[in-house]
Amino acid sequence: MTNLEIGIASFPALLVLIFLRVPIGLAMFLVGSVGLFFVTGSTNMTLMRLRSAAYSTFANYSLSIVPMFLLMGYFATLGGMSQALFRAAAAFIGHRKGGIGMAAIASCAGFGAICGSSLATAATMGRVALPELRRYGYAGGISTASLAAGGTLGILIPPSVVLVIYAILAEQNIAKLFLAAFVPGVMAALGYMIAIRLYVWIYPERAGVSERVQWGERLRLLVAVWPVLLVFGAVVGGIYGGIFTPTEGAAVGALGTGIIAWAQGGLTIRTFIEALAATGRSTGMIFFIVFGAAFFNGFLALTQVPQELSNWISTQGLSPIMVLVVILVIYLLLGCVMDSLSMILLTVPIFFPVMMALDFGMSPEHVAIWFGILVLIVVETGLITPPVGMNLFIINAMDRATSMLETYKAVVFFVISDLIRVAILVAFPVITLFLIS
Amino acid sequence: MFKTTHRLVYGLSYAVAVIGGLALTAIILMVCLSIMGRTASGILYSGFMTQNMPGLANALLAMGVGPVRGDYELLELGMAFCIFCFLPYCQVTSGHATVDIFTAGLNDRLKRLLQMVIEITFAAVLVVVAMRLYDGMQTIQRRNSLTFMLQIPVWWSYLAAFYPAALAAGVACYMAIVRSAEALLNRPLIDASLGADH
Repeated sequence: MTNLEIGIASFPALLVLIFLRVPIGLAMFLVGSVGLFFVTGSTNMTLMRLRSAAYSTFANYSLSIVPMFLLMGYFATLGGMSQALFRAAAAFIGHRKGGIGMAAIASCAGFGAICGSSLATAATMGRVALPELRRYGYAGGISTASLAAGGTLGILIPPSVVLVIYAILAEQNIAKLFLAAFVPGVMAALGYMIAIRLYVWIYPERAGVSERVQWGERLRLLVAVWPVLLVFGAVVGGIYGGIFTPTEGAAVGALGTGIIAWAQGGLTIRTFIEALAATGRSTGMIFFIVFGAAFFNGFLALTQVPQELSNWISTQGLSPIMVLVVILVIYLLLGCVMDSLSMILLTVPIFFPVMMALDFGMSPEHVAIWFGILVLIVVETGLITPPVGMNLFIINAMDRATSMLETYKAVVFFVISDLIRVAILVAFPVITLFLIS
Repeated sequence: MFKTTHRLVYGLSYAVAVIGGLALTAIILMVCLSIMGRTASGILYSGFMTQNMPGLANALLAMGVGPVRGDYELLELGMAFCIFCFLPYCQVTSGHATVDIFTAGLNDRLKRLLQMVIEITFAAVLVVVAMRLYDGMQTIQRRNSLTFMLQIPVWWSYLAAFYPAALAAGVACYMAIVRSAEALLNRPLIDASLGADH
């Protein structure tokens, strides 16, 4: 077998392992090292790389953002900010048709601004908003689907763990990617609100409204969300103002939310220790995938598969947009069974060179950032597409009275909203790029 | 007997994860301190301070107000330790990302056999990773590599990372034995009450 053939054969091997429930990081490591053995004819290469591979993957300045953002998210949960956000949003729009559902989306967006993980956003906001939605007569399906969709805003709205990983893989500026994600993130929140409005319009009996709240009370509740604004302002402002690097921003954010959680009485020694352990578990999982992916990608690069693939595609005379659409569809399909981070780590090293070889009439940096945001959105859609949408599972598990099928039916509205947004962003790159140019 | 053993392994992994978390907290504090110091020294060096309060500015700068020296490399040296500390807990709680949907239909016996093979492989990989890390440490020790700013021997950080890496390998071996026993007995040994749930 030629190296190229070995590289191509590695994909079905990898997928079979992953589908056999082998942990994704382990599967990538195994296929990568077995592949290296076939390419080089010995195990020396694997053993030699292993001397420093694990260490240097873990001791990485940019990647250290990941545990810091995760810890920040746990602190934000402890600080009761999810509650404050939801109350404020519900006070403003709760009395409108579908208003409480929209308030749940708005508060997810707000929480997403201080939390870099979709699962954490879905879980946190679910605990706060799900009982309220049910109390105001929202049917089970739309309640769980709204919160599952709202959870994806955790990653679309910066800060975002997945975007950090993309930035590192594609060697792009993290701050610029965060900035570029902002408008699409807000569009996502608005799109989800429209989806809820449509749903309530079609099924009026499946949602109720709350009492109108007086302006004085509204303002009082709005003031209560100041810690969120403070942390978001400090982190994002500091990164864009050039006061600190994204890693330093993550440290500031973690410390800031920690102090707020402590001031609000949510951070005790016991909850602090729990937050550390939970951060550790998620971080360990993510870094092991990163470690496996680094090995697999090292092997792939050696087989020349990414280069050959991008050469081949660029000589086929396909229109660049067609190629992009095909890639995005592959992400949507993969997203039905795989988690977002694994997908990014697995596919970006292959698809990114393909994208960069195509001519979209934009600078390479713009293509890289635009593609990053599009990928971010389609992998997040994967979190709410049946059958395997992690957010759907998390929220559905919180509401025993609602069957998975009801959630699946209602989430279609949000998936369609996602697809329309992706189509708009593909058609008009300027929406993503105008803030950074 | 098994319950006690599992509690012990679980407790140790949890404790090490928390130690890693504390190290992460220390890194976060160090980074924030460094930003504050950098900002403060920026202000002290500014035209306003040097013209109006040169005495105070110079005194504070002489006291060492400024960014933490070598903050970048301190972060990197510490992160390796943190992440390796997180792995044992991830291992004992089966916290790794998997795709479950295609195996969901298998019967319990097959699932347990599959899980046994996976955990044994995982244990083997983590043992090799820990051994190679030790080997890497020795290489770096021989070369006497030092960090750029602080001139700290890099192998110290490797050594600090090796202990939790070895623990991760040990916990993985333990889990491999547990899963093998489960496959042979064809019944679950670890249940939610033992803290192995998600």
